Amino acid sequence: MPGSGRYGAPMTVSRVRVDGEGVRARSRDEAILDVSFDGRRIWSFWLHRDGGRSGLDHLVPWPETLTDFLDGRARITVQEHGVDDVLFDDAVTFGESDEPIAIVNGRGRPIALDKYFRRVETFEGRSDEAVRPLLDSIQEVIDVVAECGIEAFLTYGTLLGAVRDQKLIGHDSDADLGYVSRHSDPADVVVESFALQRALRARGYQVVRYSGAAIKVDVVESDGAVRGLDLFGGFLRDGQLHLLGEIRTPFEREWIFPLTTAVLEGRSFPVPADPDRLLVATYGEAWRTPDPAFHFETPTTTSRRLNGWFRGTRVGRSTWDRLYLSGAFGRRRHVAEAARWVVDSEPDMASFVDLGCGRGREASYVAEQGVPVLALDQSRFYFRHQARAWEPGTGPDFRTFNMLEDRHVAVAAVRGALLPGPRILFARHLADATSAAGRRALWRTAKSMLSDGDGRFYLFFMSVEGDDGYGVDNQVGELSREVVEEELKAAGARITYCEERPASPAKGASTLCRMVAEWPGHPERDPAVRTRS
Amino acid sequence: MIEDDEAPGRVRTVADKLSAVSPLALKRRIAVLEEEVQECRQTSLRVAELTDLVTELLVPLVRGDNAEALEILDRYHQSL
Repeated sequence: MPGSGRYGAPMTVSRVRVDGEGVRARSRDEAILDVSFDGRRIWSFWLHRDGGRSGLDHLVPWPETLTDFLDGRARITVQEHGVDDVLFDDAVTFGESDEPIAIVNGRGRPIALDKYFRRVETFEGRSDEAVRPLLDSIQEVIDVVAECGIEAFLTYGTLLGAVRDQKLIGHDSDADLGYVSRHSDPADVVVESFALQRALRARGYQVVRYSGAAIKVDVVESDGAVRGLDLFGGFLRDGQLHLLGEIRTPFEREWIFPLTTAVLEGRSFPVPADPDRLLVATYGEAWRTPDPAFHFETPTTTSRRLNGWFRGTRVGRSTWDRLYLSGAFGRRRHVAEAARWVVDSEPDMASFVDLGCGRGREASYVAEQGVPVLALDQSRFYFRHQARAWEPGTGPDFRTFNMLEDRHVAVAAVRGALLPGPRILFARHLADATSAAGRRALWRTAKSMLSDGDGRFYLFFMSVEGDDGYGVDNQVGELSREVVEEELKAAGARITYCEERPASPAKGASTLCRMVAEWPGHPERDPAVRTRS
Repeated sequence: MIEDDEAPGRVRTVADKLSAVSPLALKRRIAVLEEEVQECRQTSLRVAELTDLVTELLVPLVRGDNAEALEILDRYHQSL
């Protein structure tokens, strides 16, 4: 039955079906779909962004974080986000069981997936008892931060909930803390945030960095569930309060300090001296009226400043995280042929560095040949299975590496340079998966690792995109051979081998380029690769 | 480019001067300036990362009785 979407426009999503594989739907335009289990919203996704083509439809596979629950039956409904019409509503049975599906955590509390497809316990319907671990966590982080001489306070939704109702806001799943630095120069604020991260790490917390001045602190609650607390840095400069993520507003120091307290779920927490001022800056004058649909409208002048000073180190990161979390991306039965070719070409290799190792399959393969391997990618999550497959102290040395952070580049460069030579650097679908800034960092890393000239840099990338979907399947963009040649030469490299070949025998196949580069200063050798035609 | 208009030896006509302040020229100039300001801002994170590397990594590395590190430090110092 054709429905109608917002504003009475014809609904573009059709043929919605749900099965053990995932959710299938057809839509010419991008659409956000909400999936509910027995009337409770569990998961929302973008049909095109998160799905793969399946004929004329898109198939969005069940995220890994949800598949554990999918054994039994549930009434599934699918709706376009913000639209009342139901696109799918039926009982679906998964796996062998006929029991009702319960999507709950270890404590039996209902959970849902957040925008990164992580399991989260929302505050909705939680008892006082249930929020206690979170309140403990908030206090714990405030205390650690205080040891660094920084006075943190509740901010954003958590401040709003405390001041308005003395409660956590139901649809939230995280808590937000902020602080105002004593520094006014953004670089000093970043250095301070690095120190804060270190202090938290030293206390055993897992910390994820969002930007130069905002971090997420993972707090393990009493039953082992992990809760993320966002810690936003701020500073006063030119009469303005700058607070990550999105605030820049005329502000007086006296409106923050000395901090006062507000009650949240029966406990007292620090808040700015004049919380009303910060809430007005965040939610507007109407902050006292609940509005679940509220979203920040950040003025361009603010986002430009905060982006320029603090951001740029996580470009495309959420897409990659989601890919590795949600599906079969990068899972191969066989080792990529490129890795076999390198091993065959380099019989004398003394060490191997896999830059952008993804799941780590190729790194493991080379390690199986008895070669010391350093395997680098931006998140531990990507290579966790391969890393676990080896006995401690054996196998590849898996490490995190974010090319967009100079500190990562410096540390990786030293680690690589310390490996025995000839060291072979391997970057398969990395140059064509990153930005121009990322490529510059990649060349810098390779050059530093090979600064003594003892080794070679093997690059594999898609140089011409065909119509075979190779680019989409591998999440890479076309990167011309000429651009890479030019950039490598500018970085002081000498290209010793270059070959382009189709990705498959099919008509319209994309072209893949394999290139080998060296930096001068190496002892004269006659590498096997040069003798290949 | 406005810089070219201001190159020495070039006679600026009234038309040149007017076109330099035309709304379109100013708009372009503002876009260029905005890009340049953004470039300057982007050095902040870099400066912070380098500061962090020196204070948190290099200094502890050379601390203590490390003759080779001190020798490299001396050499570096002399080269400044």
